[in-house]
This record gives sequence, C-alpha cells and structure tokens, in this order.
Amino acid sequence: MIARDRNWLLVFAVCAALAIVYPLFADGYQLTVIRDALIFGLFAASLDFFWGRTGILCFGHAAFFGIGGYIMALVTLNDAIPFGSLLGIAGAIAGAAFVAAIIGYFLFFGGIRGSYFTIVTLAMGVICQQAAISWSSVTGGDSGLIGIPPIEFDLGGTHVDLSQDLPSYIFVASIVAVVVLALWSISRGRWGTVLTAIQDNEVRAAALGHNAPLRLLVTFVLSAAIAGLAGALYVCMAGLVAPDLSGLLLSTEVIVWVAVGGRGTLLGPVLGAIAIQRAQQTISSFNPSLWPLLLGCVFVIIVFVLPDGILSIYARLKSLFKGGRQAQ
Amino acid sequence: MPPKACSRACANASQVLPDAMDFIVTTLLNALTLISILMLVGLGLAISFGLMNVTNLAHGEFVTVGAFAVYFVQSIGGSFWLGLAAAPIAGAVVGCILEFAIIRHLYSRPVSTVLATWGVSLILQQGLELTFGLGAKPVTPPIDGTLDLFFTAYPAYRLILIGIATATLLGVILLISRTSFGLDIRTVIQNREMAEGVGINTRRTYAIAFTFGAAIAGLAGGLVAPLAIVLPQMGVNYLANAFFVVIVGGVGSIGGLVAGSVFVGGLTSVLNYQISPSLAQAIVLLAAIVAVRLRPNGLFNGASR
Repeated sequence: MIARDRNWLLVFAVCAALAIVYPLFADGYQLTVIRDALIFGLFAASLDFFWGRTGILCFGHAAFFGIGGYIMALVTLNDAIPFGSLLGIAGAIAGAAFVAAIIGYFLFFGGIRGSYFTIVTLAMGVICQQAAISWSSVTGGDSGLIGIPPIEFDLGGTHVDLSQDLPSYIFVASIVAVVVLALWSISRGRWGTVLTAIQDNEVRAAALGHNAPLRLLVTFVLSAAIAGLAGALYVCMAGLVAPDLSGLLLSTEVIVWVAVGGRGTLLGPVLGAIAIQRAQQTISSFNPSLWPLLLGCVFVIIVFVLPDGILSIYARLKSLFKGGRQAQ
Repeated sequence: MPPKACSRACANASQVLPDAMDFIVTTLLNALTLISILMLVGLGLAISFGLMNVTNLAHGEFVTVGAFAVYFVQSIGGSFWLGLAAAPIAGAVVGCILEFAIIRHLYSRPVSTVLATWGVSLILQQGLELTFGLGAKPVTPPIDGTLDLFFTAYPAYRLILIGIATATLLGVILLISRTSFGLDIRTVIQNREMAEGVGINTRRTYAIAFTFGAAIAGLAGGLVAPLAIVLPQMGVNYLANAFFVVIVGGVGSIGGLVAGSVFVGGLTSVLNYQISPSLAQAIVLLAAIVAVRLRPNGLFNGASR
C-alpha cells in the first residue's frame, strides 16, 4: 500500500513537472489545446472519483458538466450580477451538487444500485440535453449561448484576468492538480476505505455501523460538484455553451476516458482524456462521423481486451515477470 | 343527484360536452398508442434486464433496425405490410448476433455488459448513418384516412397499431403460459441451477429468449415507423422509456409490464398536452424515480422480489 502511494505521488510529480515546463516549449494555440483537454481531464477525474470508488457507473455525468456550464454562462452574461466569474463558479458547483443531491437521495436511499442506477442517470442525461434544446428562451436552444467572457476577479488585492492563454493555462492546470490531489487523499484515506467496503459487501458494511446510502450520496454529490466546476471552467475558456455539453455523447466519452486511463487511479483518467482527445481531433479531421464509430469499437475492445485500462498493461507485465520468478 | 339538477346541468353543458369528449377520447387513444409501443419495447427489456439481469443498452437499436427495415422495404418498392413482416426478422437477426458475439460472454460482468452493448449501439447507429445517409427517412402508413369514432375522428393506422400490439402481447402471454418453451423460460428464470439440473439447456433458452425480445422490439420499431421520425439515433428515447417501464412496473410479470407502460405512457401523453415534450419527459423521470423510491419492487409486485 505504501509503495503504491509512493508510485502514485511519483507519477503525479512527473505530470506536474511536465505541466510546468510545457509552456516553455509550446505556443499559444498548443497551450489552449492542452488547457481544454485538462478541463475534460478534471471532468474525467470527477467521474472516476465516484465510479472508481463505488463501482457504480453514472451514465449521465455530462448532465452535471452541462448544468455547471449553463449556470456559469447565465451568471456571467448577466451584467446586473457583480463578481460574475466567482459567483458563476460558485453557482455552477452548487447547482450541479443540488441536482445530484436530489437524484442521489431518491436512488441511494431507495436501494437503487448497479444497473438500475446506470439507467436512471442515462435518462437524466437525455432529459438534460432535451431541456437545454427546448428551453430556448433561457438556454438559447440548439445554438446555445455565445460571448461568455473569460474569468476575471480580484483576490486579496491582486486582479486576476484569464483572457490570455498563459494565465488561463496556469489557472486551469493548478485547479486540476489541486482537485486531483484532494480527491486522491480522500479516496486513499478512511473515506475511500469505507467506500471500498461498501462496494465489496454493502450489507456487511452497514452491519459494521456505516451509513452506506449517505456515504454514496455524499460521494456522488462531490463528484457532481467537480463536474459542474469543470463545466463552468470550460464555457469560460471556450466562450460558448451548447446543448452538446450535457449530451449523451459527452457522457459516453468521459466513460471511455476513465476506462482507458484506468478506473480508480484518478490520474489515469486525466491522462486518458488528454490522449483520447488528441486522437479524436486527428480522426475527426478526416471524417467527423468516423469518431462515434471508433468510439463504439473502443468500448467493445476495452471490455474484452483491457478491462482495467491502459495502465494495467504495465501491472500485467510486472505480475507476469514476478510470477515467472516465483515459479523458479 | 336529483334528476332536475342533472337536466339543467346537462343543458348548460350541451355545447361543451362534445368538445370535452373529443378531447378525452383523443387523449385516451394517444395514450393507448404510446402504451402499446412501450409494452412491446419493454417486453424484450423485461426479459433481458429483468429476468436475465443483462443491461442491454443496444435494445433501442432493435427498434431503430425495425423502423429502418420498413423504410428499406418501402424504398425498394415493397408494401408497408411486407416491411412490417421484415421488421421483427431484422430485430431478431441483430439480437441473435449480439447475444452470440458479446452478451453470452459477459453474463457475470454487469458493468462490462453496459459498456460493450453501448459500444455496439454506437456502432449500429453510425453503421446505419453511413449506409442510409443523414437525415430523417420517410415511411408512409398503409392507410391514410381517419375513422369516425362517434365522438371524434381518429387516424385509422393508430387504431391498427393498437390492435396489432395487443394481439402480439396476448400471443406472448399464451406462448409463455401454455407452451413447453414457455415452461422452460419460466423454469430458467426461477432458478437457473435447478433448471440446468433437470436438463434444460439454459444457454440456449437465454439465447432464444433474448432473440425473441429483440424481434418484438423490432416489430415495435416497424409499427411506430410511420408515426415517428426515423433516424439512426431514434432508439435512445425508446431505450430510456422502456427501462422506466421495467423499473417502475417491476420485473417478472406481464402485469408489471402493463402497469409500467400505463404509468409511463399515460403520464407522458397527458402531460404532452399541457407542456413541452422535454419538460413532460423530465417530470415522468422524476415521477418514476419517486415511484421507485416508494415501491422498490415495482408498482405491481408485492413485498417479495
């Protein structure tokens, strides 16, 4: 366990170092590409925090991303609201957490687990996208809302303006680093241990005195809140919000990022998100309708060939060598 | 109520009454159309999700494939009825391949089944789009006119749809309760190990039941094709609603299936008159979640699961 912790921190440190030196070699456009990929990485980490620790798959996580994005857009586009950026981020986090709390309360305390939970969250995603399309007086309908200003606020006397590429990259990268580190320390501590116990055998965990539905609910709400934060950051960086942000395709993609990067590792999903988006941009430049087709194939391949993600190749090779040595 | 009061009330209502009856009958028939479709789509899902514990996210694509089968047959000059006969066959073929290639290897890994079937669903959607091109596909109904139902005129095709759906459901009930194959299915569902012990080939029974459910969903797709917008992505709405039917109704009985369909279909059609369809769907979702919270084993089932 200690060795695994050390390895994780080592990988984290290497990634952080890479993120720090990257601006020295990259131009403005490359920075924005990585910045946007990092935001989706944060989104992937939020799903992994719930799915990886509880084993329950949420199939509509983009709903929270979209809710965060729309709240941020509506708050910052309204000139009457002061401190738009900060209030927008707070509202995005609170809004996503609120929706997750309501849905999670009924599901977890109603004894809904496993596949049932997956189905209900899938429907939630479908409905969120439809609501974003049809409630056009508020959400702008199919075309969404444009002209969302970059994040800008005063903090302790210093004025922070994220309209430039480098400051926004630094801002996003530090948020991702802090959140991933925080989620990791939560999930390796007592909280994560209890969640693992609930995943293994909920009845026994409950018999030991743990309030399993409450633990699951809080984990779900936290995960949704971070997804909302990622959505809020994304719309400010992109400058627009559209119904796709809460759609099924994004919900699907985030599952692939987590599954490819390695479920339960928190860092893997971030790397998975960056790598797969890179691949997506290359493939979509040939033919846009090819991407969903390939995505479908990736799902099937993951299930049959790599059930534990790409990082598991290393662990498998290691155990192969170790097993060989023990046999001698 | 005294007769005098009644006659006065009736006289006042003489203008309003036909309109109100028209509204009620139309709403009722619209609801029945939706309920019929949901029952057919939900039937296959009740078999795979409710009884075999397989979460098949590609179930909506059986509906899509059925609808496209009708479109394809019509586009090469065939009649609607020929297309409707092809729809369940198309659904069965896709379902059979899916069961053999993927689902039977994953019975013990539920989350993997979810991911793999979703992958298949994406592949089927894109495959249909690449084959038939973008945009909605036109499907013409076999009969155009309306039927005068005393209070209101209602599209004749929808009445036929309700009739075919009801007949299919009755046929399925007879199949399950009266034939030896139905007995096999019921046995496997009750206790898989014991069924194997008495010599039933459970793998084969699962495969046939799954294919059968896919065929019924394909038939539903064929039936709904003239009314719906036929798109490669049309399946997901039926998927979500059919899952609600099964979850709300509870698994394991035709009664639960009917109760779930009436709940979801009835609520959706009534709400559709008042508010926008997506808001109506959101309310149905919330109602379904609340219903599941209050009756975790389904509306129809008792305390035991």
